[in-house]
Amino acid sequence: MKTLSPHPTFKWLCALCLGVAAISWLLRPRPETAPASSAVAVVPASQLHGNVTVWSWNIAAKSLQQLIPGFEKRHPNVHVAVDMTGARMTTRLMLSLASGVGAPDVSQFELSDAPRYIATGKLADLTPVAAKYRSMFPAYLWDNCMMDGKVYAIPWDMGPCAVFYKRSLFAKYGVDPQRIETWDDYIEAGRTILRKSKGQTKMLPLGSNALNWMFQMLIQQTGGQVFDGQGRIAISSPASRRALDIMRRLRAAGICSDVPVFSQEYLASINADTIASYPAAVWMAGTMRDTARDYGNGDITWGVFRLPAVERGGKRVANVGGSVLVIPAQCANKEAAWAFIEFALCTREGQLAQYRNFNLFPGFLPALQHPGVDDPDPFFGGQRAGGVFATDVTQISRLNMTPQWSAAMGYVDQDLSHWAATGMHNEGFFENVERKLAKRLGVPVAPGNAGPRARR
Amino acid sequence: MHSRNVRTALGRGLAYAGLTLLAIIFIFPFYWLLISAFKTQAQIFTMPPQWAPHPVTAGNFVDLWRETNIPRAFLNSVIISAGNVALALFLCSLAGFAFAKYPRAPGNSKLLAFVLGTMMIPGAVTLIPSFLVMVKLGLINTYPAMIIPGSVGAFGIFWMRQYMGANVPDDLVAAARIDGCSEFGIYWRVAAPIATPALAALGIMQLIGSWNNLMWAFIVLRTRDMLTLPVVIYLLQGETRTPYGMLMAGGLLTTLPLALAFLFFQRHFIAGITAGAIKQ
Amino acid sequence: MTPQRAEWLAEVKRHRHFYLFVSPFFVLFAVFGLYPLLFSLFLSFTQWDGLTAMHWVGASNFAAMLDDEILWRSLWNTLIIGLLYVPPMMILAFLFAQILNTQWLKMRAFYRAAFFLPCVTPMVVIAIVFGLIFSAEKGVLNYLLGLAGVQSVPWLTSEEWSKVSVAILVMWRWTGYNMVLMLAGLQGIPVEYYEAAMVDGATAIQRMRAITMPMMRPTFLFCGLLSLLGTIFMFDEIFVLTSGGPGTSSTNFGMYLFNISFGDFRFGYASAVAYSVAVAVFAVSWLVSRLNRQGLEGA
Repeated sequence: MKTLSPHPTFKWLCALCLGVAAISWLLRPRPETAPASSAVAVVPASQLHGNVTVWSWNIAAKSLQQLIPGFEKRHPNVHVAVDMTGARMTTRLMLSLASGVGAPDVSQFELSDAPRYIATGKLADLTPVAAKYRSMFPAYLWDNCMMDGKVYAIPWDMGPCAVFYKRSLFAKYGVDPQRIETWDDYIEAGRTILRKSKGQTKMLPLGSNALNWMFQMLIQQTGGQVFDGQGRIAISSPASRRALDIMRRLRAAGICSDVPVFSQEYLASINADTIASYPAAVWMAGTMRDTARDYGNGDITWGVFRLPAVERGGKRVANVGGSVLVIPAQCANKEAAWAFIEFALCTREGQLAQYRNFNLFPGFLPALQHPGVDDPDPFFGGQRAGGVFATDVTQISRLNMTPQWSAAMGYVDQDLSHWAATGMHNEGFFENVERKLAKRLGVPVAPGNAGPRARR
Repeated sequence: MHSRNVRTALGRGLAYAGLTLLAIIFIFPFYWLLISAFKTQAQIFTMPPQWAPHPVTAGNFVDLWRETNIPRAFLNSVIISAGNVALALFLCSLAGFAFAKYPRAPGNSKLLAFVLGTMMIPGAVTLIPSFLVMVKLGLINTYPAMIIPGSVGAFGIFWMRQYMGANVPDDLVAAARIDGCSEFGIYWRVAAPIATPALAALGIMQLIGSWNNLMWAFIVLRTRDMLTLPVVIYLLQGETRTPYGMLMAGGLLTTLPLALAFLFFQRHFIAGITAGAIKQ
Repeated sequence: MTPQRAEWLAEVKRHRHFYLFVSPFFVLFAVFGLYPLLFSLFLSFTQWDGLTAMHWVGASNFAAMLDDEILWRSLWNTLIIGLLYVPPMMILAFLFAQILNTQWLKMRAFYRAAFFLPCVTPMVVIAIVFGLIFSAEKGVLNYLLGLAGVQSVPWLTSEEWSKVSVAILVMWRWTGYNMVLMLAGLQGIPVEYYEAAMVDGATAIQRMRAITMPMMRPTFLFCGLLSLLGTIFMFDEIFVLTSGGPGTSSTNFGMYLFNISFGDFRFGYASAVAYSVAVAVFAVSWLVSRLNRQGLEGA
C-alpha cells in the first residue's frame, strides 16, 4: 500500500474537492425569496399581466372558477387558475409561509382564521388599494381583516344561519315549519318526525364534529362569548351553559344523527330521507346543490325557516363561517392578484354571481342590498330564501375573534366531542374548558368569569 | 395409526380453510380498491354494495387525468424513489465496504459503534429542525430535499458491512490491490458486484419507504408540480366533498407499481424485509 | 511529536480511503441528524412558531407538559391501540409463520403474498379504502355484519370505536411483516433439535413448549419492541384514516406531535415533547432488553 502511485491520490483529492463543493453549494447563502415590498401598489389595469394562482376550497373554489371568464375579459393578459386545495390547507399554507416557497398568489381563509394568519406578518399589506372599500363592507367584518390599522384581508361572504328542511318530509309527518319558533318547538317537531317515521328520520345531524358549530351558533343567540373584548377567556358563563343545555336536550331527545359533517353519509343524507333538517349557514346550500348530482335522484324540494330562538321572541340569527381573500407577501405578482380579488369581492357583479350560483352570501353591501338577492329560488321551491337569511343580519351578535380563536375552538371541539361521548355531563364543563384554555393559550381569564356582552 | 392419519388430515384441512379465509380477508381491501376505481361516486355508496362495478366506468381515470397532473406526480415519485435508492445503495455499500475491509484503520470500531448509535434517534425528534434546515439550505420544494436526508442510514451501512465482511474474500481484495487496482476500484469492481444480493434487498427496503413516504413529502414539497403520488392522493380528500372514485383510481395507480413488482420479485422483497429487521 | 503519535498519523494517512468512504454518512448525519438534534434541544427551551420572533422560555415547556391533558390522552390512546392490536397480531403472525414453515403446505407463495402484500402498499391509499369499508351507513363491513344480524357499528364516528378501527387497520398492515420475521426466526432453529425431540417421543405441544417458544423468545421480543415503537410514532395510518378523531379519541403520540408541530406551529413546545417522550421510550426499551438479557442468562 505504501507504493500508491500519485494517480489514485489525485482521484482521492478530486473526490474530496467535489464533496466540499457539494456541501458548500448546499450551504450557500440564499437571497430572500420574498419581494422587498410587501404592500400592493396601484397599477393601471392595462399594465397587468401574468398568472394568478388561487387556493380555495369546494364551493368557494367553484364559485371563483366561474368568475374567471368575466375577469379575463377585463384583463386579457392575466390568467387565473383556481386550485381546489383539499385536505389540511391550514397546515400547508403555514408551511409555505414559513418556508417562503409555494404559497399561492391569492388564498382563501376562514374569517375566523384570518387574525392568526395576519399575525404571522407574511401577508401583503392591502391598505393602499383597499381603503376605498372600507365603507362597503359591514364594520365587524373588517375587524378580523386588520392589524394595527392596516388591511391584510378582504371580506368575502357571510354565513347567516337558518334551518334547511325537506318540504316533503315535513308535510308527510304533519309538521308546520312556520310554527317552530324556539328550540323547544324544534325538539318537539323532531320527536314527532322520529315517532311517525318509526325512527327512520332524524331531525338533524349533530355528530361529534358538528357540536362546535352548534355551540358557536347558540352562544350568539344566548349572548355568550369565547373571548371578551380584550381577548381574555370568557367562555364560562351562564350564556354558554344555556347553549350547552340546548345541545344536551337536542341529543337526549334522540333526534340527532351522529353522521360527521361532510362525511359521505352526511352528503348522502342530503338526498335521502334519513335526516329532515339542517340548521346551518347559508353557504351550505351550495354544497346541497352540488351534491345532488352525486348521490342519487336529488328530487327533494328544500325550504328554509329561520333559526329557532332560545326563548319566544328571542334572537333568531347567528353567523357561522364566512371567508376572506388575502395575498401572501411572497407573491411576485401582487397587482394582478389584487385585480382578481377586487373583481371577485368588490364588485356587485362578482358578488351577485357568487350568490346566485353557490349561495355565497355577499359581505359586499352594494350586492347585499341588491333586490336580486331576494329573488324566488327554484331550489327552495320558489321560496324567497335570500330574504330569510338576510332578515336581521345586522343584529347578529359578533363573536370576538383573536389570533388564538382557531386554536381555542380546536380545544373546545375536542372537549365537546368528549362530552358527547361520556354521557353529556354539563356540570363543571365550562369551568374545566376555561382553565384549560387559559393554560394552553397563555391568556388570562376575564374577571367576573364572563364577557361584558354576556352580562345583562 | 389410522385415527392419527384422519386427525392429521383434519388438522390440515382446518389449517387450509382458516388460512384461505384469512387470505381472502387480507386481499379484500385490494379488491375493494380495484373495483371502486371503476365505479361512480354513487355506485361506491349504494346499499347493498355492488360486488363488481356495474356498469364499469373509466370516468374516474378521465377525471384524474383532467383535474390533477397525475403523470407529473408519477414522474416525481419515480425520480425521487430512484434517486433515493441509487444514492442509498452507493453510499451505504461504500461505507459498508470501508468498515468491513479496513479493519485496522484507527477508529474503525468506534466509528461503527457511533453509526449504529444513530439508529436510536427517532425521526420524530428531528422533524421540525430538519424542515428548518431545508428552509435554510433553500431545498424546500426540490428533489434533493426528498432524496438526500433518508439516503445513508446506519442500518444500510451495517447491513452492507456484514454482507461484505462475510462474502468478499480478503485475498481477492489483496490480489486486486497488487494488480494496481485503486481502492475505489476494489470497491466498485470487486466488492460491489459480489454484494449484489444484499444490494437488491437493501434497495427494495429503501424503495418501499421512499415510494410510500407521506409525511416528509407533505412537509417539504410545496407546489403542485413537485408533489409525489401519495401526497396527490392525500390532497384529493376535500374539506367537504371527497371524490372517492378519483381517489380510488389514483390509489390504484400508486399501489400497482410496487404490488406488481412484489408479485414478480417476491423472494427479493421478503429477503429485503427480513434484512431490514435484523438490526437488533 | 511522540513516535506513537507519528505512527498513528501515518496509520490514519495510510487508511485515508477508509475515512473518505465513510465520510458521506458523517457529513449527512451532521447536517440532517446531529444539527437537528441539537437545534431541537435548543428549541425546546423556546416559544416559536417558525414565523415570528423566538422567545426564550426556560423550562416552562417541560412544565407545561405535566398538565397537557391531550398529551397524556394521546399516550393513553397509544397504549390502548397497542394493546388492541399487538397481541392478536403476534399470535396471528406466529400461526401464519408456523403453517408456512410446514413441509406439507401447497400454494405457499400465494399465502405468503396475500399476507405480505399489505406491507408494500402506500398507507395513504389503503387508509382511504378502509375509510370506505368502515363507513357506518354505506360501508361494506357494516353491511356484512348486518347480514349476520349484528347491529351497525359506528367504526369511525364514535369515540369508543375509533381506536378499534385504527387497530384493525394497523393489524392488517403489519401482520405480514411480523410473519416474515417469525418465519426467519423459525427457520433459524436447527432441525436437529426437533429430530432429537421426536426420537425422545415428544408430542407436538411438548416440542412447541420446549424448543420453539424458548428459541423464538428473542424474535418475539424484537417484534414486540418494534410494534411498541411503531405504535408510538405511527402517523400515516391515523393521519389518513381518522385524523386522530372523533375528538382526540384516536390521536396517538405521533399524530399529537404532528398536530402541535404543524397544526398549531408550536415548534418550541413540540420539540420539548418529542425530546421527553423519545428519552422515555429509549429508557424503556433499554430496560426491556436488559431485563431480557438477564432473563436469558438466568434461564
